[in-house]
Amino acid sequence: MTELLRADHLTRHFKIGGTLDRGTLHAVDDVSFSIGEREIVALAGESGSGKSTVARLLARVYQPTSGTITFDGKPLTALRSRRDALRYSGQVPMVFQDPFSSLNPVFRVSHGVLRALKLHRPDLSGDARRAEAARVFDVVGLGADMLARYPHELSGGQRQRVGFAQALATKPRLILADEPVSMLDTSIRIDLLNLMAKLRDSEGVSILYITHDIASARYVADRLIVMYAGQIAEAGPIDEVLAAPRHPYTQLLLSAVPDPKAPPPSAEAVAAATGERGEPPKVIDPKPGCRFQPRCPAAIDICGSITPELKALGAGEVACHVAQSGAEVKAFS
Amino acid sequence: MLEVSGLSVEYAVAANSGGKNAVRAVDDVSFSVAAGEFVGIVGESGCGKSTLLFAVAQLLSPPAVVTAGSVTFRGQNLVTMTGRRLNAIRWQNLSVVMQSAMNALNPVMSVGAQFADALRAHGMSSRKAIAARSAEVLRLVGIDAVHLRSYPHQLSGGMRQRAMIAMALLFTPDLVIMDEPTSALDVVAQRSLMTQIKELQREFGFAVIFVTHDMSLVSHYSDRLMVMYAGQVAESGATRRIFENPMHPYSRGLLEAFPSIRGPKVPLKGIPGAPPDLSIIQNGCRFYARCPVRLEACATTAPALLDRGGTSVRCLLYAETPTAAAASEVSAAPEGKEAAK
Repeated sequence: MTELLRADHLTRHFKIGGTLDRGTLHAVDDVSFSIGEREIVALAGESGSGKSTVARLLARVYQPTSGTITFDGKPLTALRSRRDALRYSGQVPMVFQDPFSSLNPVFRVSHGVLRALKLHRPDLSGDARRAEAARVFDVVGLGADMLARYPHELSGGQRQRVGFAQALATKPRLILADEPVSMLDTSIRIDLLNLMAKLRDSEGVSILYITHDIASARYVADRLIVMYAGQIAEAGPIDEVLAAPRHPYTQLLLSAVPDPKAPPPSAEAVAAATGERGEPPKVIDPKPGCRFQPRCPAAIDICGSITPELKALGAGEVACHVAQSGAEVKAFS
Repeated sequence: MLEVSGLSVEYAVAANSGGKNAVRAVDDVSFSVAAGEFVGIVGESGCGKSTLLFAVAQLLSPPAVVTAGSVTFRGQNLVTMTGRRLNAIRWQNLSVVMQSAMNALNPVMSVGAQFADALRAHGMSSRKAIAARSAEVLRLVGIDAVHLRSYPHQLSGGMRQRAMIAMALLFTPDLVIMDEPTSALDVVAQRSLMTQIKELQREFGFAVIFVTHDMSLVSHYSDRLMVMYAGQVAESGATRRIFENPMHPYSRGLLEAFPSIRGPKVPLKGIPGAPPDLSIIQNGCRFYARCPVRLEACATTAPALLDRGGTSVRCLLYAETPTAAAASEVSAAPEGKEAAK
């Protein structure tokens, strides 16, 4: 698979606090990954794990504290002119979580699409723009008559489709989708996931799908990256990772997914499950050591003092001392 | 213990709205909750599940009004009860955990001060007793008592939600009503909260009404399940039965829309379309426009809630009239992949 985007040692820190309690929040710490062409990569993790910060770094909303992002063979720092920057944001658009606040309520939904077209594809005439807007609406499964509607006239699912249509109008190569279905009802969620798969297959775009819903990631994504406290815990082809998760945190995430088709757990299993009440740490001025160690039942001495590196193991990569030592990790099931 | 019968709630519409009808958000809903039971209510946004909860707890504010039915709690009708007597019952016998703990907790009061407020309102005056009880309930939900002095913004989302539950347990009530308490949490925090609720329930024996849009969440925790659609009960019965053998096409569609974490990957389909506008009164079944197995009669005949082997279902496919015989040969639907069993 050809590589479309790669992040190397990507780091983003935020200064927080006042004069007395100054600190540095390590939102994203030394994160490296790549996204191939025509690939859906799921980025999963708890709230506060840094997954949205990664998306914003890729969208150039934030500048990285250190580390590099390479898109299509060229580092993003080479984007000097406004034209280059505009070109990049057209190729790597974002789709947001909340379809109720991401569309301007006083304009028809065609407004956003037409504006994006005017800005990013100035060579098109007015008529061509309208034709293109109708085409992208058709691709995302909305009729051309929807173009003249106002956001309040659309359902949540339709609005989120408008979000994808806007992203699609600029001929993207990678769509950054930040929890695009988490606010939608279950009955329409699956159709949006199907749309994402369709965009990959027929339009050839890659998608970074940010989510905390592992089941939906499994349904649509090719690869999975699991983040914990600003670092990558485990990454790899999604089927392999989910069939045999090696990092204790991936195991915890997986065990917490409710499965309506599974038989209800026994009373003992429920009681055992409550042992896990930890929360992801706020990573302010962290000391070396594995960040999952306080919650990890499999932790060994070294975990408290040395930060594990992400290393290739089996089909994927994992950052865990225990797994890397060759032992089988069974922390949560 | 709680008996809701024929409850309807309408949102009145302004007189100048051009002859629009009042929106009946909850339409003739009946259910009961026994002591110590866990009842799940699921449905999409706009199906009336929150309005129903507010009506049960008598927290509705205009323009919403209860137009019919009664809510009998321990032998007393809450709908006709005076505000004063309601206040005496609230917290003490019946408490509500709101959806967003950030909005439900007062941001400028410490958690402890809010607990003390509720305790004082119900006659506990000794400062020592208040402090002791507050610390006790907070420990019950696994939060250290030092957080009594914390303000809501100093707690994480999961802790805030647990503090809300602690507050609801101040008086060990008979019934705790929960409106999507886990929707702002991620899966790990969600499961830890659910198991905790279940544990507390085992310990203190209170009943829970749990409203959620996430059907998979209640699958392992609730004893009974009520699926709501467009203000009405679509199906209700024992949770396991509904999950194993969903009868209403809507419940079936909802269950089929869940990707599974295990087993083979199969392409899934959502339910096309959107819920109906309740200000337009329709004849026939409210799910008609989205139903994959609809009959001709469904457009005109409003189905009644039928009892089929302990599960109530509102669907003509299960009626005993001649249309039922026609059900098996349905192919009227565009994608009627499976008709009634």
